[in-house]
Amino acid sequence: MFMKRQLPIAIAATIGFLTLFGWFVEEPSIKSFVDDDATQWFDILASFAMFLGALNLLKMQAMKVIRQSRGWQYAALAIAGFSFSFIAGFVMLGAYNVEVTEFGGSTGVATVLANEINQDLQSTRNILSAVPAGDAYIIDSPYFTEGGAESVVEQIVAAGGTAEIHPAEWGAHIATRGSLFNWMFRFIFTPLSATMFALLAFFVASASYRAFKIRNFEATLLLISGIIIMLGRVPIGGHISAWFIMYIVVLSLVAGVNTWLKNRTYTLVALVVGLLGVTIAGFITGWPVDQPSIFFLPVLQDWIYNNPNVAGARAIMIGIGLGIFASSIRYILGIEKSYIGE
Amino acid sequence: MEKFLDFIVKAGSLDRRVIFVVIALAVMLPLFFPLGLPIRPTNSSQQVYDVVEELEAGDKALLSFEYGPSTKPEIHPMAVALLRHLMSKDVKVYITCLWPDGQFMAMEALDQVAVNQYGKVYGEDYVLLGYRPGAEAIIKGLVSNIRKVYTVDSRGDFLDDIPMMVGVNQVADFDFLFSASAGYPGTVEWVQYAADPVGITMSTGTTSIQVNEVMPYVQSGQIKGILGGMPGAAEYESLIGQAGIGTSGMDAQSVAHVIIVVFIIFGNISFFVERRRSKKY
Repeated sequence: MFMKRQLPIAIAATIGFLTLFGWFVEEPSIKSFVDDDATQWFDILASFAMFLGALNLLKMQAMKVIRQSRGWQYAALAIAGFSFSFIAGFVMLGAYNVEVTEFGGSTGVATVLANEINQDLQSTRNILSAVPAGDAYIIDSPYFTEGGAESVVEQIVAAGGTAEIHPAEWGAHIATRGSLFNWMFRFIFTPLSATMFALLAFFVASASYRAFKIRNFEATLLLISGIIIMLGRVPIGGHISAWFIMYIVVLSLVAGVNTWLKNRTYTLVALVVGLLGVTIAGFITGWPVDQPSIFFLPVLQDWIYNNPNVAGARAIMIGIGLGIFASSIRYILGIEKSYIGE
Repeated sequence: MEKFLDFIVKAGSLDRRVIFVVIALAVMLPLFFPLGLPIRPTNSSQQVYDVVEELEAGDKALLSFEYGPSTKPEIHPMAVALLRHLMSKDVKVYITCLWPDGQFMAMEALDQVAVNQYGKVYGEDYVLLGYRPGAEAIIKGLVSNIRKVYTVDSRGDFLDDIPMMVGVNQVADFDFLFSASAGYPGTVEWVQYAADPVGITMSTGTTSIQVNEVMPYVQSGQIKGILGGMPGAAEYESLIGQAGIGTSGMDAQSVAHVIIVVFIIFGNISFFVERRRSKKY
């Protein structure tokens, strides 16, 4: 019981207090622990957490496949994807660089290289002649397989040159073009991921059409601010004249007057006065697109971003901060014990 | 009139496949036939530009790539534009990644800008440190001692063997910090654990949806400027005078936004007609 309950709580409380004190106490050993050691511990734990996460993912998906649960085919696909990534990252590294160490004056070597780098013979000769004397020429695109690289080396040797194979270093192969992992990321993961996200545009359009309705005051506010942000944030918003927006505002106010007073004469008077007022003001000022700025969409959009939006965001952040503080105190004092399964 | 109202009510329940086709056309056509709408830089984009403009040749900029392929259309154009600006000023660029995908995004941006456009030398003008797991802990580690987090760079070269790493030991040694972020860990964590405690000048580029979360830090001056989504990227491209994918994407985004607004207005008209009829009967 001590090992399962008291000890983990004691460790969490001790480390928690030490980390907290690190921000307030000018003690070099505590600061060093918080700034250096603790962060390194965290890195190590995070690495192991990734490992555990991968195992957990495999276990969960494998169980789905074994039990033939609903959608088990997707689980099988997830396992296949995981296995392929694992093999690409740890087993079939790829990225075999071919370094041509001797090629001077040999047309045969240039012919072989021209095929490999998709250039004509003259361009390849120019590339080779630009390589400083004594330096080697490395073919730009590394090979996926050792066999592929060996075949090119054999052709170069047969043509009278010399060449060596240098595989990318372990770890660095991930970031090297020509490795299987890199290929997988660029040609499988990237298009799939981008496609999934791109679908949002269609769903947002469809959902806005159906859900953005003027049902009450709050929904109206949301709708109007949404439209202002959508149009004000893009260049086309700068081409919508402030006077056009003023006319829309006048029409909306007249609609309000009509609903409130329910009198046609008053409505007509409000409409004529409003439209005439805006038109006369427009002629006097020369209809500048961005004036009066209070009705210019990009300015309105900026105002919404910088005022109501920031006020709301700050309130949420302060709330979250206080929540995190309260939770942290509960963890440090041993009140919150969900991490030991209680 | 009644027939017209019938038509509006019917149109109110438009098949969503029709909406999808219209949106697809609205996005694709401007990409093939650009409208060339002029870009108007906002204050926050101008602020980022001004901060970079103040850097001098040889200054050190730490860039962090925290995005992946899903958010690439929004963040990548601004990362490329910022790299162009930094490299044109001969600022030394150091890149870290808090997201595993970020490393691939950084490689692509560096190939495009550092290698193909400016012919910069790896290890002397720019270095890609790569990805490390650990989120905030990595940032704290970089603030304390870079070499405790990174012993080697993304190519497997020891940091001590890289010429431009000489004398660079912690975040405080940099002159500028930029986070190209699409979520957690990202901009907020860089402010909390690096920019604020160290006092380094920091700017950021985020997805449009993330601007809300980051804006309080911009207003308080903890972050000097923000590039918000694709419009932010387009604005930065116009500021540096090199149009890129952000600029061409803005025409498509403009038209798509107008179409969505038209759909919303149309949906509301239909909603009101229907409501009025149901009250009447």
